[in-house]
Amino acid sequence: MEDNTIIGKDIPRTDGRVKATGEAIYTDDIKLPGMLHGKLLRSPVAHARIVNIDVRKARALPGVKCIITGADTPKIKFGNWRLFPATQDEFPLAVDRVRFIGDEVAAVAAIDRETAREALELIKVEYEELPAVFDVDSATAKGAPVLHENSPSNISIDRKIQYGDIEKGFAESDYMHEDVFTVHAVSHAYLEPCSSVAQADIDGRITLWTSTQTPYIVQCLLAATLGLRENDVRVIKPYVGGGFGGKMELRPWEFCAAFMARKTGRPVKFTLTREEELACGRRRHAMKLHSKVGFKKDGTLVAKDLKILLDGGAYNSMGPTATFLCGNFGAMLYRYPNYRFFGQHVYTNKPPAGAMRGFGAPQSLFAAETQMNIAAKELGIDPIDIRIKNAMVTGDEIPDVATISSCGFIESLEEVAKMCDWKKKRKNLKNGKGLGVGCYSFISGGVFNWFNTQYPFSSAEIRAFADGTVHLLTMASDIGQGSDTALKQILAEELGLKMADIRLTAADTAMTPQADLGTWGSRVTLMAGNAVIDAARKIKEQLFGAVSAKFNLNVIFDMECRDGRVHAAGKPDRGMSFGDAVAFVQKTNRGEPLVARGSYTPRGKGLVSPAFSFGAQVAEVDVDKETGNVKVNKMWTAHDCGTVLNHMAVEGQLEGSIQMGLGYALSEQFVMDNGRTLNTTFLDYKMPHAMDMPPGESACIETYEPEGPMGAKEAGEGLASPTAPAIAEAVFHATGYRCKDLPITPEKILKGLGKLED
Amino acid sequence: MSKIQFEYFAPETIEETVALLQAHGEGCHVMAGGTDLLVKIQHRVTHPKVLVGLGKIKELKRISFSLKSGLTIGAMASLADVAAHPKIKKHFPSVAHAAASTANVQVRNKGTVVGNICNASPSADNIPTLLVLGSRVNIAGPDGETRMPLADFFLGPGISALKPGQFVTSLNVPVPETHTGTAYLSLSQRGQLDCSAVGVAAMVVMDKNKCKDARIAVGACAPIPMRTTAAEKMLIGKPLTHKAIEAAAVRASKETKPITDVRASAAYRWKMVAVLTIRALIEAQKNARKQ
Amino acid sequence: MKTQTVSFTLNGESVTATVPQSWNLLRTLRDHFELTGAKEGCGEGECGACTVVVDGDAVNSCLYPVMEAEGKTIVTIEGLEKTDGGLHPIQDAFLNNNGVQCGYCTSGMIMSAKALLDKNPAPSEDDIRTSISGNICRCTGYVQIVESIDNASKMMK
Repeated sequence: MEDNTIIGKDIPRTDGRVKATGEAIYTDDIKLPGMLHGKLLRSPVAHARIVNIDVRKARALPGVKCIITGADTPKIKFGNWRLFPATQDEFPLAVDRVRFIGDEVAAVAAIDRETAREALELIKVEYEELPAVFDVDSATAKGAPVLHENSPSNISIDRKIQYGDIEKGFAESDYMHEDVFTVHAVSHAYLEPCSSVAQADIDGRITLWTSTQTPYIVQCLLAATLGLRENDVRVIKPYVGGGFGGKMELRPWEFCAAFMARKTGRPVKFTLTREEELACGRRRHAMKLHSKVGFKKDGTLVAKDLKILLDGGAYNSMGPTATFLCGNFGAMLYRYPNYRFFGQHVYTNKPPAGAMRGFGAPQSLFAAETQMNIAAKELGIDPIDIRIKNAMVTGDEIPDVATISSCGFIESLEEVAKMCDWKKKRKNLKNGKGLGVGCYSFISGGVFNWFNTQYPFSSAEIRAFADGTVHLLTMASDIGQGSDTALKQILAEELGLKMADIRLTAADTAMTPQADLGTWGSRVTLMAGNAVIDAARKIKEQLFGAVSAKFNLNVIFDMECRDGRVHAAGKPDRGMSFGDAVAFVQKTNRGEPLVARGSYTPRGKGLVSPAFSFGAQVAEVDVDKETGNVKVNKMWTAHDCGTVLNHMAVEGQLEGSIQMGLGYALSEQFVMDNGRTLNTTFLDYKMPHAMDMPPGESACIETYEPEGPMGAKEAGEGLASPTAPAIAEAVFHATGYRCKDLPITPEKILKGLGKLED
Repeated sequence: MSKIQFEYFAPETIEETVALLQAHGEGCHVMAGGTDLLVKIQHRVTHPKVLVGLGKIKELKRISFSLKSGLTIGAMASLADVAAHPKIKKHFPSVAHAAASTANVQVRNKGTVVGNICNASPSADNIPTLLVLGSRVNIAGPDGETRMPLADFFLGPGISALKPGQFVTSLNVPVPETHTGTAYLSLSQRGQLDCSAVGVAAMVVMDKNKCKDARIAVGACAPIPMRTTAAEKMLIGKPLTHKAIEAAAVRASKETKPITDVRASAAYRWKMVAVLTIRALIEAQKNARKQ
Repeated sequence: MKTQTVSFTLNGESVTATVPQSWNLLRTLRDHFELTGAKEGCGEGECGACTVVVDGDAVNSCLYPVMEAEGKTIVTIEGLEKTDGGLHPIQDAFLNNNGVQCGYCTSGMIMSAKALLDKNPAPSEDDIRTSISGNICRCTGYVQIVESIDNASKMMK
């Protein structure tokens, strides 16, 4: 690696200052003259035909300026899988039918929130209730009520993966194990509730400020549902208070804000309540996983047969991608010579499941890692040893999926074992205490173009100025993870500038270069980072040419941008300041500004991702065998995320993952009753608080990812996966109770130990 | 009507407060810290037309203690005040502890112990301890001041014995006799800082190894926070052996009537009442010995 | 809607506002005074994103009836006294220790930290965790926030 000056340092995030002073503007902070406030009327029933909607009383309420129902809209369906229009199954407002409690039926815009809310109660909707289904088994049973006519079996999409010879694999296995796992839905619980403000100009063009991870996707789908051209819609992402996958689609309130802004000529804002978020918001897929694995006596993995039913809720949302990915993650981490996967995405009358941190991996890896732990136990092999034996290494190929171009998995396992003194500790823990391990692999962005974008996956434009500064324009979206800082770091490093020399304009679809698919699947650092490097190198080409001419440099000389100067490599005096070099280029081009565009689109990288990260985590727990309470005493993590661009930022991602993983394993869940979410407050949706967090230790295993910018790849999303299986194994180690049904609640533990009856 | 629209009054005396309550009748609510009431209003569970804030009545903020009259906690004394009060920490550590474990810092700074009681929530963390200590509430109303044992105050979930025009001005906790120990234990899925799925308070008065008096109160396992008097009787006058404690705990569990809700199942609650009762009695006994 | 005039000290200045009686302090700060640093994350006192300091105590401004603000001294994130570098030491510490990610909890966290450090200049890790137990963060896992507050306490000595 080069002697970097900015890469790998603890660079404070560039938006930290405005966030720490409270000056950072989030969508709900925006107030425009004449702005109206919108509210959504949601279905109170899980499945029904809409017989009639009467808005007359509501319309008569003083202060109400606009009410719309599905009948007023162009009735154009949307969905993120634009490549397959048949998967686009959602109307912005219900047309004739509602399919879950919370389905959007009508929208009101009024002079204030109170009036809008009051108007909702005056809208009379007549429903003819239909039979409903709430779990994958009843939804796929014969004669089950059908949610969408074009999916008579309620299975909206399925996916098969097969390689090797599964039957032969099992025939050759000395040991087989078959389990059924169920994993539950959880909430992203980003702290900023969704919010959108739309303004229409005199020609009806829309500007939408919205709390989103994917401005470009929103732009395209909003234009489509409004019957406008893409360029008629401008989407701007203000600061976003977290997303974790929950803000990567077009949402009904974005449509309603824009539609009503055009109708009324006034800006319209929608901000969801926390209750709406928890009762009706997107969530992580609940899944039922049927997995059979085969091993040799010595612990060598031979075969795996995995069948997954995804509980998709009422619409596809990001379910097709989840179906695609959970099959891939089922075969990650280890060498599975014979593998078969069959995944089915099932409609149920519940709030749709969407993308959420780890996206298919937490579920698939909970099953896979638990089975590794079961096999280790039953084959009498140490859980870490059996993993090392089967671990993927750099250069491994997964048929039709990918080649692993960098992999620090074995090193992660060895490091985490060392950090926690695994062998000794696991042997010596006293009754009630347990130690368990879980691992993960994750992607650095997706390759499969489900959105069917006609643009590069990521783009960047750099404008260089004679004053020694540059302006970076990109549609990449920082939603709190710190990508703005990472991209600036990459650019500063590439051009030899300081962070303060870079102005950034990001995530504005009318001002930043087309396009960027947004923030999901840990794609931004790698993809937008590569686009930035591509643009920076084009700038450098021009600067090098100019400086070379000016100093009459030998053509064989290398050149570099360093410390604010452009010069022959290793000869700072044979060159000039960055600004002077820019001025020189500009002069040469008779005033033409020095601007370059760069882009990145993964090509020849299989179907899944250009790069994969790996890691291992150990949890120590203390289980109260009388109450079933689990206390996590400590977590140890070692992970390979390629080159670490910013240690402090990677650490923050890791620790945040542990909070989410801990909640997923132990305390977070939706309590549902016939499609209704019962716990719709943060009092009863139980995320770990500051006092619930165990201490932790972590280590980065640095590898160099050839496909990544400066060797970097995913960090922090995959870590959503190992925590639950690690804790589950630790609980088993402590008590003998093996959890195959997340979350691990006190009641399940007591039942598992025979101390509580069903 | 869903619109949140109330008038707000801030009387300066108890008499004025009673007069306001009488004048506005139904739909007029007294507010101490408001940390529960405002949530209920937000969720449209409560639709007050008038809120009467007690913040300007200085005497209600008071916390006083004497060996003779015990501890008096005014209706406006915040949970944080109670948790930090040196006299309460010394003489009623379990009362301070319960206040300190209620909700979070921000809520403790605004919410009050008396408010927590008046919500009459079966799961309120402060109540079981106050019940076993034999607390009383002081009530002001159209007919003047009255007193009521806390045990009689709760009629159902969210329903108290207050009559129209009445409100609680303070809470009184008598000084326990010597060799008294108390303990409060609760369970919830999040570990720290949570709304409890089960809570058990115990108080024992020891006479050497014999239990002179015993009280057990259970939260979140019946429509109201309740004493399990049959279990208590099994212990009074007897040595507190582990066997006796276990038998009483099983009995206590049988006295409760838990339901299944978002926080726990009835079966789990039943089981946990017994587990926590054993632990609370043992801890209370230990605390009694410390004196 | 019945309105009333309420007067208090806001970030060092005497202010009055005529607002509906049923408004809470958060609404008043954001909609009347246009101070948008305090955020509404849940509206029911569970997340702490709306935390402000009233008479020295951290409170949820979403659960604070504005009429009760009468005569009080209120400090919001916008009112933190600045030092030479332009930031309050707690803000500096959050910046330098990566206590900020998405930022939505940040102003509330910092106000909780301020209330703590004003009362207890040398808090233990336990004190710090307790002081932010009413502030939910979904990004950081709290570690770097706790480090930020610890660091601020040392800087402020």
